[in-house]
Amino acid sequence: MTDLFGSIYCWFEFLFGQNLAEHLWGYNCETQSYSNSNSFSGVGLITLAVTLVVVLIYYYVVNHPRFNRWWSWLITLIGTGFFSLFIGYYLVANDFINGYIGDCLMYIRDEEGNIISYLIRENDCWMFGLANFFVSLGFFIIFSLIFNILGRFIPKLASRNCKYSPF
Amino acid sequence: MSKLYLFGIGGTGSRVIKSLTMLLASGVDCGVDTIVPIIIDRDLSNKDLSRTKLLIENYISVSKIAETKQRNKFFKTRIKLLNDDLCLQLMDNTQNFGDFIGKSTMNQENQALVDMLFSKDILQMDMTVGFQGNPNIGSVVLNQFDNNEMFKAFANDFNAGDSIFIISSIFGGTGASGFPLLRKTLQTPNVKDADGNSLSNWGLVNNAYIGAISVLPYFNVGSASDESMVNSDTFIDKSRAALSYYKTEDKKLDALYYIADKQTSTYEHHKGGDAQKNNAHFVELAAALAVLDFVNPKKRNKNTLRDKDGKIKQTVYREFGIQKDASEINFATLADETKTLLVNPLSRFLLFRNYMKLVFDKQYKHQPYAHNRFTRDFRKKDVVQKLEAVQEQFHEWLTEMENQTHKFAPFNITSNKALDYIKGDISCIRSKNILCNNWAIIDNELNLQIRKIDKSLENEKIFIELFFRMSESLIGYKN
Repeated sequence: MTDLFGSIYCWFEFLFGQNLAEHLWGYNCETQSYSNSNSFSGVGLITLAVTLVVVLIYYYVVNHPRFNRWWSWLITLIGTGFFSLFIGYYLVANDFINGYIGDCLMYIRDEEGNIISYLIRENDCWMFGLANFFVSLGFFIIFSLIFNILGRFIPKLASRNCKYSPF
Repeated sequence: MSKLYLFGIGGTGSRVIKSLTMLLASGVDCGVDTIVPIIIDRDLSNKDLSRTKLLIENYISVSKIAETKQRNKFFKTRIKLLNDDLCLQLMDNTQNFGDFIGKSTMNQENQALVDMLFSKDILQMDMTVGFQGNPNIGSVVLNQFDNNEMFKAFANDFNAGDSIFIISSIFGGTGASGFPLLRKTLQTPNVKDADGNSLSNWGLVNNAYIGAISVLPYFNVGSASDESMVNSDTFIDKSRAALSYYKTEDKKLDALYYIADKQTSTYEHHKGGDAQKNNAHFVELAAALAVLDFVNPKKRNKNTLRDKDGKIKQTVYREFGIQKDASEINFATLADETKTLLVNPLSRFLLFRNYMKLVFDKQYKHQPYAHNRFTRDFRKKDVVQKLEAVQEQFHEWLTEMENQTHKFAPFNITSNKALDYIKGDISCIRSKNILCNNWAIIDNELNLQIRKIDKSLENEKIFIELFFRMSESLIGYKN
């Protein structure tokens, strides 16, 4: 599972950079190994759970006959995406601000130890949030498909008013 | 499979049958499976009759898609026509009374006798528009029921357990004269057709349970703009005279219902024909309730008193009353029994109509209940169009009753809101979803109920079943 989430997020590595990805994989600068905990699984699980809850709320709690159009689903999808963006940003920015990211991943230093350049900036945290936005869209679409298909085979499980939203 | 043969005589007969059809369309409980209406009217072109005929034709088409084995009650009671015709066509088509009795072929003495008995106006009266309030003419002309193809079909169709009910007014011409004549014919033993053959099942007809309603004056007509002989000043006197004759009907009917209204509306004066189109009136609805009361199996012992040999021991006389007299009748002013009978069916059917009229087109594309099932093309189907035609006639019927002097106005008929259309302190709305309001409540319920319906039924049957279940779930008046 941890590898799975990591692999998914790495599709968007071009957004937030390799160094932040290494940190999230659990790279430890001191041991030069992946001995820290894998943060992808934490972020991934939280995003997955949040998306699942929103999908369940859309299909089974709100479940409204006036909020079952394709655009209703799209609004919910994008809303969930933005929520996930902030979750992604918050979790990574927390490490960034509190200095939990290994020095070797954060900076390039000269021989005296002065910082020459930054390898990870706050902007990369936002970019990770953006990656989380896309991941959550994917989860949302998959959950919607699952509930749609499930509802067609087991009518009792189908959403009453949003059964065909958006497919 | 018990049937009720329902004879409606004259314009009032047509209008009461129309009201009964509206009640059956809305799903009022009826004690028989099938009603066979037969209208007796010499004025075949009158608008009251043609409106009733159109309604019944539409009803019959729609009832074919109304499931009887499911929960549905809309259009559940079958209506059947004898020989595919609603009207008992009288064989004679002579235009005026003088020709009918063959005055010109009589000898001089007989002609003088006829001139003494009937005025010149009566002898020259145009009978193609009815008897214009002259029961003395009607009783002569209508004395030919048995010599008729539909009467033969009626006898052939009659089975043990079937019953008969006669609707007529007492203050006009056709109804007042036709009722005792028809009753007499139905109870005359061994009636023969024109060829001299005995009518089949006639013994069953003779001994069948038989009830009638005689409608006393409930409207006036304005002053005549043509040579019409109808005059509402004579309605009370005519009623009194007819009632004194109806005393002779005692013990010949199982039940005789009377209804009248003192708060009369005044209609435009038309002697008959296409112009005779009287607005629906609550009295006609109440008269239709008399029919339902008579066939109610739970009331059979109250409404029929027969001896061991099956002979009528005593005629049961009944009148209709409301809880509180007011110029506007609504559900709250009705007696409990009437309320129990009417609130749910009328409210449910009006909700169905309002949804189809105001919401269906906007929502069918988005709601799961309609997905790939009820589309724009579905609405174009002949039977669905007929269903909607009945719904429009139902709405028109309610509107007409609301526009009378003595109004029946249980609904805010022009309301475009989903569930605030029932007037008075009637607690019958059951809305369960707090997130939904207005028409969304209806769609929410339709989307729920569609899951509970047998999908192997035809789409048209699913449609009626679905809307009945939805309305049943949301509207449930209990006394």
